[in-house]
Amino acid sequence: MRLYLGSYLSWYVPQRLSRLEIPLAGPISLMELLAQLKLPPAEISIAAVNGILVPLQDTQVSDGDLVEFHPPVGGG
Amino acid sequence: MSYGTRGRILRVDLTQASIRIEHFDEAFYRLYPGGKALAGYLLLRELAPGTDALAPENLLVIANGLLTGAPISASTRFTVAARSPLTGAYGESEAGGFWGPELKMAGFDAIVVSGRAAQPTYLSIRDDNIELRDARELWGREPEEVQARIRAELGDKQVRVLQIGIGGENLVRYAALTNELRHFNGRTGMGAVMGSKNLKAIAVRGTGRYVDAVHDAKPIAALGRTLGKRVKEHPQAWDMQVKGTPGLLTVLNAAGMLPTRNFREGVFEGVANLSWETYEKDLLSARRTCYACAIRCKREVKVDDRYQVGDTYGGPEYETVEGFGGNCGVDDLQAVAKANELCNRYTLDTISTSSTIAFAMECFEHGLIGLKETGGLDLRFGNAEAMLKAIDLIARRVGIGDLLAQGSKRAAQVIGGDAPRFAMQVKGQELPMHDPRGKVGVGLGYAIGELGADHLYAAHDTMFANPDSVAFKGAIPLDVAALPVRELGGAKARNYAILENWNSFGNAVGFCYFGPAPRSFIQVDEVLSLVRSATGWDMELADLLRIGERAINLARAFNVLNGFSRHDDVLPERLYQPLESGPLAGAGISKEDFQQTIDELYRLKGWDPQTTAPTRARLRELEIEWVADLLGV
Ligand code: SF4
Repeated sequence: MRLYLGSYLSWYVPQRLSRLEIPLAGPISLMELLAQLKLPPAEISIAAVNGILVPLQDTQVSDGDLVEFHPPVGGG
Repeated sequence: MSYGTRGRILRVDLTQASIRIEHFDEAFYRLYPGGKALAGYLLLRELAPGTDALAPENLLVIANGLLTGAPISASTRFTVAARSPLTGAYGESEAGGFWGPELKMAGFDAIVVSGRAAQPTYLSIRDDNIELRDARELWGREPEEVQARIRAELGDKQVRVLQIGIGGENLVRYAALTNELRHFNGRTGMGAVMGSKNLKAIAVRGTGRYVDAVHDAKPIAALGRTLGKRVKEHPQAWDMQVKGTPGLLTVLNAAGMLPTRNFREGVFEGVANLSWETYEKDLLSARRTCYACAIRCKREVKVDDRYQVGDTYGGPEYETVEGFGGNCGVDDLQAVAKANELCNRYTLDTISTSSTIAFAMECFEHGLIGLKETGGLDLRFGNAEAMLKAIDLIARRVGIGDLLAQGSKRAAQVIGGDAPRFAMQVKGQELPMHDPRGKVGVGLGYAIGELGADHLYAAHDTMFANPDSVAFKGAIPLDVAALPVRELGGAKARNYAILENWNSFGNAVGFCYFGPAPRSFIQVDEVLSLVRSATGWDMELADLLRIGERAINLARAFNVLNGFSRHDDVLPERLYQPLESGPLAGAGISKEDFQQTIDELYRLKGWDPQTTAPTRARLRELEIEWVADLLGV
């Protein structure tokens, strides 16, 4: 699975990168994925799978998907 | 003096070629502690309503804030204010860099420039050695050369130069000022006011120290060190350093609110070519900073490929990348970097320049202007070459550039037909690159802001949606509520009013927007102790917010006296129409709900719902009852 972390979300992963490859054995919910990566759900204002916005709750993803998370960033 | 200032204003009358120094006392500074607050006071007191913005009678006020020059991250900014030639309203723009702190070290809180010099002139300030000097040889030259010549002439390489390029000389209504070639007072056309005065530059060198003028320097220095270490430990501050404002593009695009082709769409298909990753790979040559700032969010770029871009004038910020990128339909970051370089050399505001060109592109596509009017420029969305040529024509005011140099509102009136519908402006100032259909609070700011459309006073709703997010937690001391991003109504109005006061306070004391919470890492209680340490004043958070509110009311009163009313506090019609595609498809702003929220804001602010004049009672609370006498309320 490919993961894209927008803006300051990269800060939460040890690699501090925007793009990560995460091997998945089987389908996983977005909430489980966040827990694995230690990404706080409160910082996710937008989640998208393969370019379509999805709710954080009740969304499953599998290997091969592109998952994007973006935080609630303000003006600039 | 021991409250963060030496209490001195420099008065320069260019018509008389005279200079004098004026002093103010502590009681005065408590009410107007610099920046927006001091500028608002001076303009309201001294500028006759109806004065033509480009006439010698207009005043150009340059004001530091109370904290400008403190050895603290983000304490870098100064305000430039005057009646705006773009809007006819109160005009103001802040810049960071090094010039404001240098002026503080020279012992001045503000400079008030009146009149018009008989010939091009520059002002030199070296502590108390102040003189007006001949700038005929500098007029028409580029900022890099002007800065070098002034430094050579004064025999001091450390002189900081604030100046205008040819955009300001040629009175482009959205001309900017630049300091150190890389920092800009972009908005509301302050560069044109400076140009109208024949004032090319202000060179400053100061040998004082900020800490010598404060009540208690120790805690300030200690906080400065703490913040220096905190940058890497704080997600928002870290993000500003690593990705900077260009990091916003992919976020807003994913949310479906990235202004695209003049706000017609909210998703740009070429966003990957404009993203910060492409920026880092193709453009970035160095990271830079402003005075004493550990965030280091400024970028330097260099390109030698499809376009040649030198590293002299700084790299594009989010607004510029998106303005010349998605909003003009251009997916080439090198072309965007070139556009940024041209604007910076000519000192043009990149937001108004890009937005006015996007407006012209839409007019061109609708056949309202053709090749005859554009002088052969094929001004379609996506044509980077035409976009770059248009910038040149605007700065020189040649052909179609002369019309576009007036801003989109005036140009639309001249073009006629449907053109006014395509001018994405409020009070004559072009919209920044944030779509209120995705965050309505930004729309409240665009509509009600005294400057016209501006994105740095408004609360960006996304930050105040989740009570557990780092942004929201930073705002808890301000007593804001967690609300859905697209919800209007009384609670949203209340959030807006609080955060507008907070941001206005920041502009009064000289804070960069990317320093304090909730946008970044200096916590609200730290800001309060900083003000206490600097001044020795026994202030509470409510007092800081009142400084912000007072400054807003001064600007509002200025506008009311210059003929503005609720009819001017509106959005461009397009924003009430739903977006047609992308994640926000179907999302518009309900005009009725929006008007009701604006009414609620007037009520909260204590303003008349028709004239928008503040009531005497509110002005008395803000300790500026003299304004009620001016307004006749
Ligand atoms: S945060 Fe960026 S713009 Fe603001 S003062 Fe620091 S370096 Fe300058």
